[in-house]
Amino acid sequence: MPSVQSPQAVDPPASHSNPHALLPFLRSQSQNTLTRLYQRPSSCLSIYRLLGPLERQLVMNLLWLESAIPVNTMAVWVVPEGKKLYDDALAVMTGLHILQNSTVKLALNPTFKSSLRQAITGGGSTGSFGVPAEKDDKRQPGGIEVLDAYALERWETILHYMVSSGQGQLPTKPSQGVLYLLQRSELMKANHGATLQITSSGFQFLLHSPHDQLWDLLLQYLHMAEERQMDLVEVLSFLFMLSTMELGREYSTDPLSETQKVLLEDLRDYGLVWQRKASSKRFSPTRLATTLTSLSPSLPTSSSTGGSRVGATTSAIGVAASTAQQGFIVLETNYRVYAYTDNPLQTAVLNLFITMKYRFPNLVVGMLTRESVRKALANGISAEQIISYLSTHAHPQMRKNNPLLPVTVQDQIRLWELERNRLKSAEGYLYRDFASQADYMYVLEYAKQLDVVLWENGAKRCFFGSLEGHANVRGFIERRTGGG
Amino acid sequence: MRAIKGILLTCDSAVKQILLTMNEKAPFVIEDLDEFHLVIKADEEYRVRRELEAELEKNTYSLEAN
Repeated sequence: MPSVQSPQAVDPPASHSNPHALLPFLRSQSQNTLTRLYQRPSSCLSIYRLLGPLERQLVMNLLWLESAIPVNTMAVWVVPEGKKLYDDALAVMTGLHILQNSTVKLALNPTFKSSLRQAITGGGSTGSFGVPAEKDDKRQPGGIEVLDAYALERWETILHYMVSSGQGQLPTKPSQGVLYLLQRSELMKANHGATLQITSSGFQFLLHSPHDQLWDLLLQYLHMAEERQMDLVEVLSFLFMLSTMELGREYSTDPLSETQKVLLEDLRDYGLVWQRKASSKRFSPTRLATTLTSLSPSLPTSSSTGGSRVGATTSAIGVAASTAQQGFIVLETNYRVYAYTDNPLQTAVLNLFITMKYRFPNLVVGMLTRESVRKALANGISAEQIISYLSTHAHPQMRKNNPLLPVTVQDQIRLWELERNRLKSAEGYLYRDFASQADYMYVLEYAKQLDVVLWENGAKRCFFGSLEGHANVRGFIERRTGGG
Repeated sequence: MRAIKGILLTCDSAVKQILLTMNEKAPFVIEDLDEFHLVIKADEEYRVRRELEAELEKNTYSLEAN
């Protein structure tokens, strides 16, 4: 990860250094909404899991205290170097209304405190972790394999639809709801009113990990839910409930509210939940749903589909999933790319930035060329994204190399990107023909204070100011000439 | 004192020379500031960028040209 912000060893290596995508959304909600959300133990547990390591530690410190603790007492624990991290963590928690807003005492929000305690110690009968369905003797519940296959199929249908839209193919269409969501999130755009075309943010989206992709879409869904007048607390608590459910278990739909039943249908389209029939009284969360608030992979992995190596899992999905986890790309110094995959989606994603040469049943061979990379750059994908995709999906064999990817190839990809930016442009005004050097210096000084000077040359007595600054600079000159 | 509306182009000196040659055919440069900066007419940027692109492409050859 290139963007590790805190050099302190606070984060375990596997954790994300950036805050989770959902947290800013939660912060933008009212205290009332959040407090209603915190009445559900499963929501509190999920949010706790989304917090950073330091925030989690602070919550744990405060959780079992009956009374508030003075700010000074807590601050004594903090070493000077950690002060900023500590303050940031407190700000995050106050923003989420987990921490009560006070300058003298630190205490958890009472609702949050009692719910999280309940989540940890068990007890109560709120059913916030879902109500398991009665055992049905006639039908066996769908096994984990069925759920994994379903989740993978749904999810890849969406991604495959996106990736193929750029190439004029017509793969299976996801449902209307999904299409609408893709359009709303501007990952796809209607072209000439008819067919949907992938956008540049859509291309970037494809290179993210499934977990990030899922949250991208769910966040968009949450924004939509606000507009559809759905109760956000219901929506969020349902998502959190799903995230704490057990994979492979069936749950009853009876305790769900009307809003949540609508939600259930939408989530079925995305592959987060599985139901035998649309009218079924029971549902099972898939791996996409149960890993929403954890660091485990969102899509099935080889260890879960049998525990053994690739050879043992014979189904196409098993192989694809296991390679997805282990990495499948070999990149050589001569720009050749060997991708050990038979997954059409992975092939299609690779096709975004490599030129395909040969295809075999389990292997795709291609080249990174100037043309192929430029095509990707023109689509809005950045050089960094290509490099990070190649390194995240590098074949285990490649992991022996240090650095992972050949430096020549990395540099060349970056150079190809730079080549496109040989010309930088900025709109604005050229100020010239000043009457005297003093005049020039005076106006320039003012423009510099506004931070609008893009270029200056004292000898020629002229400078270039940005468009935004023009009104101010002109006003300044007019006032000056008018006054004197 | 005068203020002239335009677009400030920042580029390397090679690109600047190409731009100056292009300017001889169809003028668009307002002011040649220094080695790396030019001010051009605001409505010409798109055309200039396209023509420059075409010009630079002439200097590369492709392995894929088959």
